Parts: sequence; structure tokens; C-alpha cells
Amino acid sequence: MGTLTGALPLPAFGSRAAVKTRVEYQNTVEGALVRRAQDGDEAAFREIVERYQSKVFSIIHGIVRQRNDVEDIAQQVFAKVYFSIRNFDFRSSLITWIYKITVNECFDYLRKKKVRKLVYESDLSEDEVRRVENTEPPVDRQAPADETLARHDYVVKLLTRVSEEERTLLMLKEVEGHSVEELAEMTGMNENTIKVKLFRARQKLVKAAYRLDRTPGLVAG
Amino acid sequence: MHQVILDRLEEFISGSPSSREFTAHLESCEECRAEVQEMKELSGALSALRAPEEFAPSPGFYTQVSRRVEAHRPRSLWRWVWLDPTFGRRVAFASLMTLAILGSYLITRETEYSAGPPRPEAVIAQQAPADNPDMILATLASYEP
Repeated sequence: MGTLTGALPLPAFGSRAAVKTRVEYQNTVEGALVRRAQDGDEAAFREIVERYQSKVFSIIHGIVRQRNDVEDIAQQVFAKVYFSIRNFDFRSSLITWIYKITVNECFDYLRKKKVRKLVYESDLSEDEVRRVENTEPPVDRQAPADETLARHDYVVKLLTRVSEEERTLLMLKEVEGHSVEELAEMTGMNENTIKVKLFRARQKLVKAAYRLDRTPGLVAG
Repeated sequence: MHQVILDRLEEFISGSPSSREFTAHLESCEECRAEVQEMKELSGALSALRAPEEFAPSPGFYTQVSRRVEAHRPRSLWRWVWLDPTFGRRVAFASLMTLAILGSYLITRETEYSAGPPRPEAVIAQQAPADNPDMILATLASYEP
């Protein structure tokens, strides 16, 4: 069973209960909370923040190791939740939707930070840096000082090579520990679709690993 | 990768027991075996993204979120008339409804006026019964279209 269910005091989406339809989800306590937030109820939005802030912090800290940046990104995540809640269509669970926003914000932050660092260290403009980034895959040729951190950075680099949806699915599966069945409940997709998407994502990761001039064997070592 | 492997790949990577068919194919197909092995190793690497320690939000976190929301809130047209956007929308809706009702009333009145003066048969029908021919003749003589 995955870790996201721990964030929910309600009937867990990761449980073996029957698959909830969109209508059923809307009629739950959480569905009612979301609808209140969609109507502009500030108290409902506050409840959503307080309910999921710890989980969001945990997700961000796993991806972005700088503690100073975690809270800043978390604020950005919930601001995005606030402005996008009206677009939430109950097709997935709320936490799955927030999870996706969180992961995307983390990778956006990392990408912008990298571009800023390169602009600062080189004489290139932002556009020129982006052009270099897109044509030449970065290769890490130095021996890592800290193996754990190096492994972390390597995985983050690989995940930039897959789509947002694939990244979210991979993380929900491998980092949060959800089964394919649980992912189907959480995302509203059927199990075969999830299997295919995960397979394609894994193929891209393998390809990216080769391009980064490392074999998967080195990573697992 | 062959379908027999694809169907059970996620279960295998998660560490669940594999079916005999899956195991047998993996033993016989070098291509599938190599690909599955690479995927399993990378899957293990993804666990590096788990948070290393617990990180609790600061007590004023929600206040910070609210400030950020306010700073990024798009400017509403209703601000220019100092109206709450929700109230402004209600005023606009009520105005439109009033215009629609008034407009329907005016159009209906215009229709009545444009119908013209009543025809002689109608006038005769409203007046004395048909057994008074003098009245009928007088009405017809005085009728002006």
C-alpha cells in the first residue's frame, strides 16, 4: 500500500475498496470540500492546505534537497492549487492532482535554477544557455563526492527526460510505493493504460541512462 | 519486450512472485531479460527521491500561502467600480434580466399598436346583434381604414 493513503483520514484511495467513480468521489466528504473550495470558500482552501502541507513538504524535500527552497516551492504549489482548483474535474483524487502539481513545480524550479547558474557562470544569455542545454546532454565526468547525493542527482536528471505524466506515475509507483491497482483508482485510468505508460517511461529512463554515459549497473551499485 | 513480460513487468519490479510463464520466458529470452534487468535497477534508484527526513511546515505557512495568492491574484474588472466580484456579477445579471423583461414588454406593446384599427366585422361583432341591419349599415358606412 502506498504512502499517500496516510495523508487521508477518509476511506483511503489506496485501499482494496471498490473503485470510486467520479460521481461517487464528488459525493464524499473530500469531494464536498473541493466543491466548496471551487466556489471560493477560503476556509475550505485552508483545510486543504492544512490537510496536505506535510505531504507536499515531504515530496518536495525528496526531490529538492535544499531546505531553504522547500517552503518557497510549497507556497508556490498551494498558490497553484488555489488558482487551478476550479479546473479540477474529480477524474483523479485530490492528493494525486496535488502530487502532480508538486512534482512539476519541483522540476520547474530545478530547471530554472540550473539555467540561472549557467547564465551566472558563463557569458551566455539565457536563450543561449537553453540552446546549449537542448543540444548537448549533460555528462557527469567527475567522481561523486557523496554517493547518495550523486545517485539522487542522477535520478533527477533521468526524470527530466520523461513527460510530466510519466514522471508522476513513476514517482507514485516507485517513491510512494503504490501498486498498479492503486494507481488506477487514484488517477482514474485503467490498469492496462497505466502498465503501458509505466513501461514507456521506464524505456525512456533506460535510454536516458545510456545517453548520460552511465550503465544502469553503475547506478544500482 | 514480449507481451508475456509486459503484462507482469510491474509486479516483477515490485518484488511480487512471478508466474511460471513469466519466469520461463525470462530464462529463454535474452533481450527481455536484459531489458527487465535494466528497468529493475533504475526502479531501485528512484527510491533516492524519498525524503531523507521529516520536514514540518512552519506555523505561519498558511499565512505565507495567502500572501502569495494575493500577490498573484489577477486584477478584476470589478475592482474599478469598487464592487466585490461576486456582487458585481449578481448586479450585472439582475440588470440583464430587467432589460430582458422590459424589452419583451415593449416589443409586445409595439405588436399591439402595429396591428392597426379593428376590422369592420370585429366592430360589428362587438356591437348589436345581427337582427339590426340599420346598425350594421351605419357601422359599415362610418368605417374608415
